[in-house]
Amino acid sequence: MTGPTKIRLDALTKRFPGQSRPAVEELSMQIPEGEIVIFVGPSGCGKTTTMKMINRLIEPTSGRIFLDDEDVTRVDPDKLRRRMGYVIQQIGLFPHQTIAQNIATVPKLLGWDRKRVDARVDELIGLVGMDPADYRDRYPKQLSGGQRQRIGVARAMSADPDVMLMDEPFGAIDPITRDRLQNEFLRLQAEIKKTIVFVTHDIDEAIKMGDRIAILREGSRIAQFDTPERILVDPADEFVADFIGRGASLKRLSLSRVRDIELGDWPTVADGTELADARRLLAESDKGSLLLLDRQGVPRGWLTGDHLRAATGPVTAGDGLPLATVRPGATLSDTLNEMLTARYSTAVVVDDDNRYAGVVEIDTINEAIRGMQTAERQRLRGQALAEADPVEPTR
Amino acid sequence: MDFVDYLGSRWDNLLELGVEHALVTALAVVIATVIGVGLGLLTYDRPRLRQLVIATCSVFLTIPSLALFGLFISWLGLGTTPVVTALVMYSLLPIVANTIVGLRGVDPAVVESAQGMGMSRLQRLFRIELPLAWPVILTGMRVSTLLALGIVAIGAYILGPGLGNDIFAGLSRISSPNALNLVLGGTLGVIVLAILFDLLFVLLNRLTTAKGIR
Repeated sequence: MTGPTKIRLDALTKRFPGQSRPAVEELSMQIPEGEIVIFVGPSGCGKTTTMKMINRLIEPTSGRIFLDDEDVTRVDPDKLRRRMGYVIQQIGLFPHQTIAQNIATVPKLLGWDRKRVDARVDELIGLVGMDPADYRDRYPKQLSGGQRQRIGVARAMSADPDVMLMDEPFGAIDPITRDRLQNEFLRLQAEIKKTIVFVTHDIDEAIKMGDRIAILREGSRIAQFDTPERILVDPADEFVADFIGRGASLKRLSLSRVRDIELGDWPTVADGTELADARRLLAESDKGSLLLLDRQGVPRGWLTGDHLRAATGPVTAGDGLPLATVRPGATLSDTLNEMLTARYSTAVVVDDDNRYAGVVEIDTINEAIRGMQTAERQRLRGQALAEADPVEPTR
Repeated sequence: MDFVDYLGSRWDNLLELGVEHALVTALAVVIATVIGVGLGLLTYDRPRLRQLVIATCSVFLTIPSLALFGLFISWLGLGTTPVVTALVMYSLLPIVANTIVGLRGVDPAVVESAQGMGMSRLQRLFRIELPLAWPVILTGMRVSTLLALGIVAIGAYILGPGLGNDIFAGLSRISSPNALNLVLGGTLGVIVLAILFDLLFVLLNRLTTAKGIR
């Protein structure tokens, strides 16, 4: 079930002077508590303007904004903003203040005493995966882009707001760091359960991060407001389908993770096994290769028949073909990508200590896609039948 | 008398004139800073007013100082008051211009994030924008100070204080034995003051600029 509504926008409209068409036109929507709601759309569709009206950095021309059923359209905007975290793409850390001072901004505005502020600062630096003792007194210029981004998020959470507004927060970061930060943020959100409004122009980011996605067209008109699964399986119209682009099936792979599917088994052989034993093992299995594990159970490589024929002594870690390894938290999309990179149709799944946990084969991924499609179609059919008593779709 | 002997015998006099010179300069720059930073704060985000203020201060700077002192005689008389008034006018442009440039140079993302966190207009100005613009403003004050040090010397023409008195005394009796020493002594005094003020600004910059933006 959907949680109670946290933010309600009622016929929100923004006209900028000198423009014939409104940037945001009569937008009404409800943002449920504790979810990440993504505003996504082509540039100029009004998604950022809409977000900035929620904390009234841009004042609406007409319409109303409700926070927890309280009409905040006319309250003191500074006080309103202290109740909402705000993260922007450029982050905007204060360069003349230390990390601790940056994070302490809102708590100090709210008049917290020093002890409480200091404790909160350290807690937050730790929460975003950094060491408080090491980073507290540094200045923003001494941090990497990814670290600054983390501190930006920590600063937005400083006074523990229920609502966070994030405007392309991971937009200016290199793809590898972005991916890691997105994963960290999702893990964090699973604990803190904030209501988050997240603006992006990247549909892949929207699918990955969103509990719910609002696809917006010009004038911030909602083309579709739904869960990522539903948007991928059942786009409301041409515009949405176009915006998702080709490869909706491929994108759906970002929605399921390795831990959600059943892992396969593979014959393994320990480092230092006698050649004869290894050859026998390979002959007995129905696979074309053996997985070589070291003494700690960490996968080291694939041993093919060719390897074993050419080998002269016990098998060693240096012998095998390179592996594609993934962790249980990886999406199927990441897994497929690893497979393609390693040019091997089987990915090895390892646990947090890098020990062998199982394998994912390309056929498994294929089945997973087909399974999702079937399940979704059945659900849609079920919903059509239940039309008399409509229920909100849930994840 | 050679210059070294001259310095030895007139040391106390030179020191006294130098202190006067420095005080008048410092007073003028402080007044100009208060007015200049104020004008900068009021106009930096209003293009029309900003241009008007800059243009006015530029006009001040183009008036030849001797002419300005002359014009002031009927209004402010002679002595320190008209000299300080003129110095303030001359010192305004670098300070106003640098205040505006400094404030406009603050990263808009920093200001937006401050606003987004609920800092009021004044909190943003005094906690974020001014501290970030400060090194640029300080550079403006430094330029103004050097400018003023030279102009104070001319102020002796209308009986103002400072090392200009020695310079003008020397120039008015150019054939007397000490004339050259007087001019040299006064000029050297101004140069020494300029170096001292510059050192002061280096120190001030270190002490008042936040570590994160040095």
